[in-house]
Amino acid sequence: MLKITNLSATVGEAAEAKGILNGLTLDVPAGEVHAIMGPNGAGKSTLSYVLTGRNGYDVTGGSATLNGEDILAMDPETRAAKGMFLSFQYPVEIPGVPVMTFVRTAINAQRKARGEDEMSAPDFIKRSREVGKTLNLNAEMLKRPVNVGFSGGEKKRLEIYQMMMLEPKFLILDETDSGLDIDALKTVADGVNAMRDPSRGMLVITHYQRLLDYIKPDKVHVLAKGRIIKTGGPDLALRLEKEGYDGVLGEAA
Amino acid sequence: MTTALRDFIRNPTAAELELVARYGMQPEDARRERAFLAFAETGLPHRRMEAWKWSDFRASLKSLDRPKQAAIPDPLPHDGALVFRFTPSGFAYPKTLPSGISMLAKREVQAFSSAEDLPLGALTAALAGSDSKPATLLFEISGRDLPRLHFVFEGAGEASFSRVVFLLRPNAELVVTESHLGGVGMASALSEFTLEAGAKLTRTIYQRSGPEDAIGIASTLTLDAGAAVTQTTLAFGAKVSRLETRVVHRQPGAHLTLNAAYLAGKGFHADITSHVRHGAPECVTRQLTKGAVLDGGTGVFQGKFLVPRITGQHTDADMQHQVLLLEDGAQVFAKPELEIYADDVQCAHGNTSGALDDAQLFYLRQRGIPERQARGMLTEAFIAEALETADETVRDVMLAEAQDWLAS
Ligand SMILES: Nc1ncnc2c1ncn2[C@@H]1O[C@H](COP(=O)(O)OP(=O)(O)O)[C@@H](O)[C@H]1O
Ligand SMILES: [Mg+2]
Repeated sequence: MLKITNLSATVGEAAEAKGILNGLTLDVPAGEVHAIMGPNGAGKSTLSYVLTGRNGYDVTGGSATLNGEDILAMDPETRAAKGMFLSFQYPVEIPGVPVMTFVRTAINAQRKARGEDEMSAPDFIKRSREVGKTLNLNAEMLKRPVNVGFSGGEKKRLEIYQMMMLEPKFLILDETDSGLDIDALKTVADGVNAMRDPSRGMLVITHYQRLLDYIKPDKVHVLAKGRIIKTGGPDLALRLEKEGYDGVLGEAA
Repeated sequence: MTTALRDFIRNPTAAELELVARYGMQPEDARRERAFLAFAETGLPHRRMEAWKWSDFRASLKSLDRPKQAAIPDPLPHDGALVFRFTPSGFAYPKTLPSGISMLAKREVQAFSSAEDLPLGALTAALAGSDSKPATLLFEISGRDLPRLHFVFEGAGEASFSRVVFLLRPNAELVVTESHLGGVGMASALSEFTLEAGAKLTRTIYQRSGPEDAIGIASTLTLDAGAAVTQTTLAFGAKVSRLETRVVHRQPGAHLTLNAAYLAGKGFHADITSHVRHGAPECVTRQLTKGAVLDGGTGVFQGKFLVPRITGQHTDADMQHQVLLLEDGAQVFAKPELEIYADDVQCAHGNTSGALDDAQLFYLRQRGIPERQARGMLTEAFIAEALETADETVRDVMLAEAQDWLAS
């Protein structure tokens, strides 16, 4: 599914470019959920932006493929059409663009890029209603401009709404748990778990172990200084919680 | 041509000589002469005049030539409207008008009191009129629930001058829409509105042409007690274009909303200029101008609120200009001015310019929306706020036009 080999990347403009990823290797097979944990500033969000093609994040070495296709050469919208989805750590406000308009435009743009038929308006509205219901997002909220005036928790639920509407192949959740109370966390986790599928892969980036009680990972990786320095089962997350990064990293170093 | 006529303008350009010649062919009329002399004072407005430093008609308009590109088809709906059509030599109008609207097509020039402030308006007052076209088209409006009046200004020819004067009687209500569609080397329209107490005007202006046209749209608005005007403009500019609106709040409690959106592509110049005088207490002005400019395009915004010491008390006025520079090489000149002498007022203004937000653009693209479309969506969302006040019969069409421009 997603195969990252020896990936290096810098952030920033040419002269001030800073190496953030330093030979990161990671393999997430279809059907699996992998968690990435790591201290602040380790490069977790950088990895998610590099994989989705954000400007200013430049690959300096290595490769990343989705089902064998080199994604690093594609522009962001092409990667999205191929199935890459990022739930942003900090979702962006888009004043003047209602959620429904935005998501419907995105769905149809992706379908067009894949050579598929557009989703009809009634189908879209029906699906939107279903998904909104499971996430406790009411119709009124979905008519408001994207993320404008939404609380932190509502923004994260709206990310999951978009994910469920777009039905991507590969999901990256960047600290989707931050800013969520326990009820919202459960709602979001239910949404994510509903997306689990033998043909789908997920990368769940988190700073805390808490989310992994609800979204059970197949593997846990520790990212530090731009590399995966340790990989284990779900118990690794528990150890990190107990011993802290210093304890676990000290042993790895 | 006599030397006397030639001497009207110092060092005239070919275009100015043409204008003098056109004046020479008009019947004698003392008011026409006064208007033309006011124009001849400066000739075509040029960059050495403070108010025209960013919109140099003299330099842009070397001679009066018919542009290669014909007038664009009118996107605004004609259904349900009374349609009036001005061309360089013609004027067409509905055979019958409902009661509440009376129209008088006059061969004589009506005095134009703002001639010194509006040189293109003065020129228009002096040159409007021909065999089939009135020098002054007068409307007296006394009813409500009237059909929309739609005015079309279009080619084809070297020059076109059109003048319309409206008098709205107390508590009258009128909806006016205008399409300025080009196809003329120089198209200049002058509209004067006087609103008596409690009258209400909703005016929506659409301006678009090819890249060789010069376009002037000059307007005056005078508001009596409790009168209300909502004017909304969508302008795409031209080789050189100026939409200039002068407003006087003449009696207490008048309300003005003055909104505009301009979209200037490569080779297009769009100037939105306004002057609002709070000549009576307790009047309100809300002005929002939004722009989006591409590489090689030029936008100009000049806004002024004048609030005199005694008559301007309790003025409530706000002026905002916000522009998106969509590409490197986009040019915008802005001069928002508040000139306030009264002490008990609420006046504010803001002026910002910037590029599209990278984070927003990436967010849309990550969801699969191609870059061009994403830029169009963000720009339309930005512009739309200024068009919300457009008359509902034309608002959606205007938004669609803006979106088409952005996507092309
Ligand atoms: N746009 C940027 N410009 C400069 N430095 C950046 C930028 N984005 C991230 N960084 C730096 O890269 C490092 C990794 O950041 P990030 O990937 O956000 O870490 P994490 O998500 O693991 O907390 C940090 O030192 C951060 O300051
Ligand atoms: Mg982060």
